[in-house]
Amino acid sequence: MGVPGSLSIKQIALAFVIALLVLLSAIAGFAVYQTRAVTQDLSAHSRNAARAELDAAIQRLLVQGKEQATSLASWGETRQQFVMSEYHTYWRDQRVYESGMLSSKLSRVALYDASGARLAPKSAAHGLPARLPDAALRDAGWLANEAGQILLYQAFAVQGGAPQRGVLGYGLIRTDFMASLQKQQGFFFTEPDALSLVLAPGETLSTADILTHLRFSVRPDPDRLRFQEILSHTLLALFVLLLASLIVMSLVYSRLLLRPLHRLSDDIDAMQQGHVGERLRTQPLRIAELENIRRSLHEYQAQLRELHGSLEHQNREFRSQARQDALTGCHNRRAYDEDWTHFQETVKAAPQGVAFLLFDCDRFKAINDTYGHAKGDRVLSIIADAIVMALRANDRLYRLGGDEFAVFMSQATSTQARQIAQRCQSLLEAANFADLGIREPVGVSIGIAYLPAAENARVDELPKQADIAMYTAKQPGRNRIALYGEDTERGAQTLVASRETSAVFQALAAPGMIELHYQPVHALPGRKVVYYEALARIRYHGDLIMPGAFLPVVASRRLEMEFDLSVLQQADADLAAMLIPHGCGMSINLSAQSISRPEVISQLLEFSRHSAHHPLMLEITETSLITQMEEVRTYLDLLRSLNFRIAMDDFGTGYSPLRYLVDLPVDVVKFDTSLVGKLSQKNRTGRIVTDFVDMMHDAGYLLVAEGVEDEGVLRRVESLGFSHVQGYLLGRPARLSPPEFHGGEARAGIARAG
Amino acid sequence: MRAFLLCLLVSLASIPARAAVVQIEVRPGIPASAEYLAAGTDKPAVLLLHGFLQTRTFATVATLAHGLHEAGHTVLSPTLSLGIPGRETSLACEAVHAHSLDDDVAELAGWITWLESRGHQSIVLVGHSFGSMQLLAYLARSPDPAVKGYIATSLTEAQIGDLPRAELIARLEHQIRSGDHALVTQRLSFCQNYLSTPQALLSYLRWDQARTVAALRTVPVATQLVMGDSDQHLERGWIKSLRRMRVPVAIVQGANHFMDGEHEFELLDHVLGFLQRLGGR
Repeated sequence: MGVPGSLSIKQIALAFVIALLVLLSAIAGFAVYQTRAVTQDLSAHSRNAARAELDAAIQRLLVQGKEQATSLASWGETRQQFVMSEYHTYWRDQRVYESGMLSSKLSRVALYDASGARLAPKSAAHGLPARLPDAALRDAGWLANEAGQILLYQAFAVQGGAPQRGVLGYGLIRTDFMASLQKQQGFFFTEPDALSLVLAPGETLSTADILTHLRFSVRPDPDRLRFQEILSHTLLALFVLLLASLIVMSLVYSRLLLRPLHRLSDDIDAMQQGHVGERLRTQPLRIAELENIRRSLHEYQAQLRELHGSLEHQNREFRSQARQDALTGCHNRRAYDEDWTHFQETVKAAPQGVAFLLFDCDRFKAINDTYGHAKGDRVLSIIADAIVMALRANDRLYRLGGDEFAVFMSQATSTQARQIAQRCQSLLEAANFADLGIREPVGVSIGIAYLPAAENARVDELPKQADIAMYTAKQPGRNRIALYGEDTERGAQTLVASRETSAVFQALAAPGMIELHYQPVHALPGRKVVYYEALARIRYHGDLIMPGAFLPVVASRRLEMEFDLSVLQQADADLAAMLIPHGCGMSINLSAQSISRPEVISQLLEFSRHSAHHPLMLEITETSLITQMEEVRTYLDLLRSLNFRIAMDDFGTGYSPLRYLVDLPVDVVKFDTSLVGKLSQKNRTGRIVTDFVDMMHDAGYLLVAEGVEDEGVLRRVESLGFSHVQGYLLGRPARLSPPEFHGGEARAGIARAG
Repeated sequence: MRAFLLCLLVSLASIPARAAVVQIEVRPGIPASAEYLAAGTDKPAVLLLHGFLQTRTFATVATLAHGLHEAGHTVLSPTLSLGIPGRETSLACEAVHAHSLDDDVAELAGWITWLESRGHQSIVLVGHSFGSMQLLAYLARSPDPAVKGYIATSLTEAQIGDLPRAELIARLEHQIRSGDHALVTQRLSFCQNYLSTPQALLSYLRWDQARTVAALRTVPVATQLVMGDSDQHLERGWIKSLRRMRVPVAIVQGANHFMDGEHEFELLDHVLGFLQRLGGR
């Protein structure tokens, strides 16, 4: 498979072949060029040779003419003509040829006497002039064009046979120059028949200028033609041979290299597509190195697949472990998130009845804190096992965190969900926690949300609905199983739950939303207000949300510390704004978790600066779980050294108040409304509570009665020795403003007590 | 015959001392030359004539001339002009031969006069072949008194082969009488195609063997014939005919017509012997 920007072997091979063809063509072109150059050089050489050849032939012709003239001039019979001219024509027309003085009839000779008159003037002289031309006296030879015939004239003087005799006369040889030249032997380069002389009719030409006026053609050189033919054939044969070699090489290249590489590439592609081992069984590649590469790749691929399989197995193991809760063995929060998303998609694609069950262990933190983490973990395992046993075969249990579990059921009905919840509680009731040393009953609250198939589009609301149902189940008096819609006030709760959650988070982000309403605490006797308990409210969109509505949200979101910090900040602001007059104390509620947090301690240290004008008291709600008792005790001792008084709030509703009273430095015990109401009873309960009040009073604790709403109860608590009292009878919680207190001087009560 | 001494040229370095080429104008416009090998006048001067159409440079003649000169004889070797001004080479048979025997005799007379002018009062004529016949023709007329002897080597008549001489002469005479001057081609001596004017040819044709023998009988000076017995050029029985005369005939055994090679010395001996005898007479 090709990669963009890369070249295939076939393309490279094709490019290589094209490059070779181009190179071959270049070589052929160069060879043709060289051949043409050689041919031109040979032609030039032939032309020069022809010119030299012609020059030599002309010279030979001229020399031959001169020799003939010399011979004629010295010939006795020539001299005889001047003394006996009766038979001159015989001599001229016959004798000179028979004797060999003139070699051919192309040459004619005429004799002239000393005055220039031709001998035997009346006889035909073959066109030779009747009088000796003047040129004969100047030049030994010249050419003339006479009627288109190029004639060579060569004159000579005939001496008298004795020095004293002087010149007897002259001779004039006329030669048909072109014919004689063409008949010259030894023309190898010149084409004799193509010879011509550029000379206008009637004009003459010196013999020295013959060559420049001569036009000639180079005779085709058989050797040169043969050479060219051989060279051309050789080049053609070479080209064909190279081309054939190229084709053969291409075939060999294709068969030995390209095809194996292509097969190797196919093998690699097949390996990428997972077809391992199939192609290895095919015929091996011819190239040993490629076969080695192929086998190595196969082996490497096999090893990779084996490694991949191992990694997949390990991945599955890791994924399983990653999705499993190590403590309980059920699925963890990660698995919940993944499966819940998938579940929603499935349900939306295939509508069906679905249920969401949320499990929460009651008072697990108290158990954990009381019996230790090991037992707490064991409790969670037993709970998880019980839930799993109660579920259907294909249902999965998810631990969302801490003591909270969830199950979402497909193909379910609300009845099935409720039955599973009840079965779960039955199993837990049957569980023997006593073996763990846990004497208190351990149970879970179960919130159920159900949607029929027609409403599957709202499947994503199921967790919230189950959450609401859960809080409903946890409310006192419930049977700890609540089905959203049936057991909850569906519309309002849904609205409130979401509104309170939003209110809490917004209040924490903007502390101004938290309002502190102050309820006066009166000292007994005298009923004088000695301090105020700060009670938090959240102002949300103009409405005031009460603690009973937002505290569950704070608890469920584990926002106790943040909320307490916000309350302290607001209280600090109120004191700075002098809403509470000097001398009058302030009591602030803190969760037990906040006591051990450095941020809160730091804030309290800062807050302690008000102790000079306002007695300060921290109320620890005994329903809060205190898991690190020693650490909390240390911090409380520190706070007490800073003039904070520690009060045990809502005494009588908590889980182990006696232990807290024993282990923690508590100064004040605030009896819960439920206990205060029982003080007026005349039964055993009334007596127990009364005795308990006496005991606490005798132990030196300052006692505060909460929720006093009528005079009878007021008198009763006063009689029992309660040092302080608060309730609607004496004052409701309300916002304070500075002018309200400016008129009176508060007196410290609790702050000064003890 | 008018003979003028034109000049005496002493020019050729190759010619030994006292050797010179001399020229005379034998006829108007026709100079002729001769080699003059001068010696004392105490011995007879020799006029040595070449054969038919040859020149003085012909080997037999040239060798003989130098042999005689070395023997102390003045030798004059003329080259007959044959109508050619300043002829120096042999004349081809096919050339136009307008010269006649009379012209040749006249030229010989001129050279003899020239020798006389050089103080030679005793002149011996020596000829070779046709030249012997030409010298015989000179002697047959009125020879100069200075001519004292005549040696004919390889003497031959004007040979015409097997043709009937009389008929040929008659035809030529008729041609001449009819004014026909056309050239005639005829065998003459060693020329198979001797081209000549009728008159010139006729002058030679008249010298047949009979006229030659007759002339020999009337030669007014001492005569010596030197013939080679292997001379194939001669007509059969010619030497025998010569022997029947009272003229001494020396036969060079084995010599051909040209008496070349080793026979040159024997020829020279015969000539010198004649000259010696002539001097002692």
